Amino acid sequence: MQDTARVNRVLVTGLGVISPLGPDTRANLRALLAGKDAVAAVEMFDVTKTRCKTAGQIPDVWLEHAFPPGRVSARLHRGARMAALALREARETASGAEPELMIVGTTAGGMSYGELFYRCLLASKSRKGFARLVGNYTPQKPVQDALELNGLRIPTQIVTNACSSGANAIGHGFELVRHGLRSCLVCGGYEPLCELVFVGFDSLQAATAEKIRPFDFNRTGLVLGEGAAFLILESERSATNRGAVALAEIAGYGVSTDTYHLTQPNPSGIGPKLAMQRALESGAIPAEAIDYVNAHGTATIFNDATEGAAISELCGNVPTSSTKSMMGHALGAAGALEAAFCVLALRDQFLPPNINFVKPDPAWKFEVVANQSRAGRVNYALSNSIGFGGTNATLILKQV
Amino acid sequence: MSFFIQGIGAVTPLGPTSLETWSALCGGQHAPGTRFAKALADRSYFSCRVPGKFAACAARQPRLRRSGTISLLAAAAGSDAFADAGLKLDSGAGEGMAVVFAICSGGINYTRRFYDEIVTQGANCASPLLFPETVHNAAASHMAALLGVNAESYTLVGDSSVGLGAIHFAIELLTMQPRLDRCLVVGTEEVDWLLADAFASWRMATDLDHFEVYGLTNGTIFGEGAAAVLLGRTGSLMIADSSPGLPFRSLKESKSAAREMFGQLRTEGLPEILVSSANGTFADEVERKVFSEIYPAVPVYAPKPALGEALGASALLQVAVAGLALRHQQLPGTVRAGSKLASINRETRSLSSSRALVTCVGFNHQVNALKLYLTPSK
Repeated sequence: MQDTARVNRVLVTGLGVISPLGPDTRANLRALLAGKDAVAAVEMFDVTKTRCKTAGQIPDVWLEHAFPPGRVSARLHRGARMAALALREARETASGAEPELMIVGTTAGGMSYGELFYRCLLASKSRKGFARLVGNYTPQKPVQDALELNGLRIPTQIVTNACSSGANAIGHGFELVRHGLRSCLVCGGYEPLCELVFVGFDSLQAATAEKIRPFDFNRTGLVLGEGAAFLILESERSATNRGAVALAEIAGYGVSTDTYHLTQPNPSGIGPKLAMQRALESGAIPAEAIDYVNAHGTATIFNDATEGAAISELCGNVPTSSTKSMMGHALGAAGALEAAFCVLALRDQFLPPNINFVKPDPAWKFEVVANQSRAGRVNYALSNSIGFGGTNATLILKQV
Repeated sequence: MSFFIQGIGAVTPLGPTSLETWSALCGGQHAPGTRFAKALADRSYFSCRVPGKFAACAARQPRLRRSGTISLLAAAAGSDAFADAGLKLDSGAGEGMAVVFAICSGGINYTRRFYDEIVTQGANCASPLLFPETVHNAAASHMAALLGVNAESYTLVGDSSVGLGAIHFAIELLTMQPRLDRCLVVGTEEVDWLLADAFASWRMATDLDHFEVYGLTNGTIFGEGAAAVLLGRTGSLMIADSSPGLPFRSLKESKSAAREMFGQLRTEGLPEILVSSANGTFADEVERKVFSEIYPAVPVYAPKPALGEALGASALLQVAVAGLALRHQQLPGTVRAGSKLASINRETRSLSSSRALVTCVGFNHQVNALKLYLTPSK
């Protein structure tokens, strides 16, 4: 257990979000309160041969109008636009903060440019436009573009731990500030939807042709989403010195690696359970203190079974929801988006809903926040992320 | 708080272990450029491949039965680093240990095959066996399973400088988590025609079977391989300084970033050898200028003409070479060195050195450096 008396408090002083639920934090908050269903038919690529045909998508119009047209704008991947918008909002919220480092989670980065490169390669002998696609497809390039568009030149660390990447990025940032290695940084994740990953989940039969129903007895699988979210984290001293208003506090972080299988969690639930236990220990927080769990909740049979068992065992009848029910699973950005939703739940004292919920699963003790948001006393919120490769991460956020 | 390299591992086109690679480098050998057998267009490239038998021991692990080359190479290098530290790699080795991986292109063979199935046969024909191995952290997951790691496992992605960032990340973990005794840092890369063609469209890859450094900048040849360093709290090869790196946005800015990054590590004594990332591209000129300004008399060794540009593995290969140079007090001669850098080391020679600086200028706008000291064993 950490000696919490000897470490810094870590405050969230800036927040930026773009997701299928809305182009900024305010719109996302409205959507969370309203229980909006942002999952719709996929328009970006052909889905005639896939089982799943829906996803949570960010309308291009939100991305295109945000930057002046020009040479730079023309080459930007939509992931860069998402990241830049979320970063811009986070910096505006934390007016005056000077981050020293950026830690970002993603899985596919600018992969859709790689896909286009491959299709062009097969279809044509001309190499026109290839350089633009190759130069901008790597996961790090959209991050660099986002920094440049926001006038920042700081080091970056890009974590690609599958679906826990965003939570890992925030968790590592939290630890750096907490231990005094950094006083202010920006962390989060971005993830644009792409065909390769969409088909990948479809091929594994993890994606559903129906609605995504996390924790429902009749759940049939996930749908994918996309988005970006960034948090500015500051030590209490840094925030106090510049008179910053804190939105929330990061109070704990835990990780575990479940080596049972590359894509399947250990059925015992030991993976998420260890991550949750370690997060509670790191913040010296009793499990009973958790008022709300934002679950990973992908709605696959395996994920919900193992995560549900872990939540039930550690947190009993705690109110729980998976906000993926509203916008799909944004993979490398999911942990960051869901941490941002927890910040909003803590700040505005409400429980985000788990929509499309019909029939409870008797296997679990926790209470699913079914279909509608509601007001609630939330002092501590716990957010789980569970990824391929057995990477599990838990963040605990606290009201300030 | 100090951290040390306790074990060095590598599997490269020149050898199945770090020591065999080292011996070949000191012997002036270079990996032969072999032509890719399969091409998607009428363009031909060479690469420096790792013979399959070099990773054969890793391929026998049940967990790695279906895994791609990138994971096999990583497991072989990790195992070698353990052996170098006098430790056995088994499922009990992961107690008190973290794993940090550095990757660039990831499992590009499986990714290409999977996407090719989508494009040519239809999404309903794409193999569910291929997809999991395309995920960037697959290699780290396999390594964690082989070691029995149940806590920190991170994969960082970036350009050819990412390995130095991964070491810095590992040092952050060790600094913040006293319960961790060690951290295994692995960089790994596999090659594919697609990678070479993509970089050729960016004018970064040559269609020749070799490339020169600090001379003509015709582009690079891609190599595959993996390197691993086992970091711990005791030892004699100390990581004296590390950094997450610095970004740059233009060639002009790259020189100032490199000057800042390479120069800021001068504080505790000048490096006595430099291990550079020169690869026959624009990076050579950035390093040449900065070396000439800051370290005009320090001998420079560039391993990439002998091993190929192994992207995600390359920075860790440089660190492995620097560590072995200090350990063996020998600096290999750079093969195919051009005439533009006077301080390039052309012949293998003995050293009496305790300080090495590893430098990286990445193609995706990152520079980084790491300082390594040979100290009395602690």
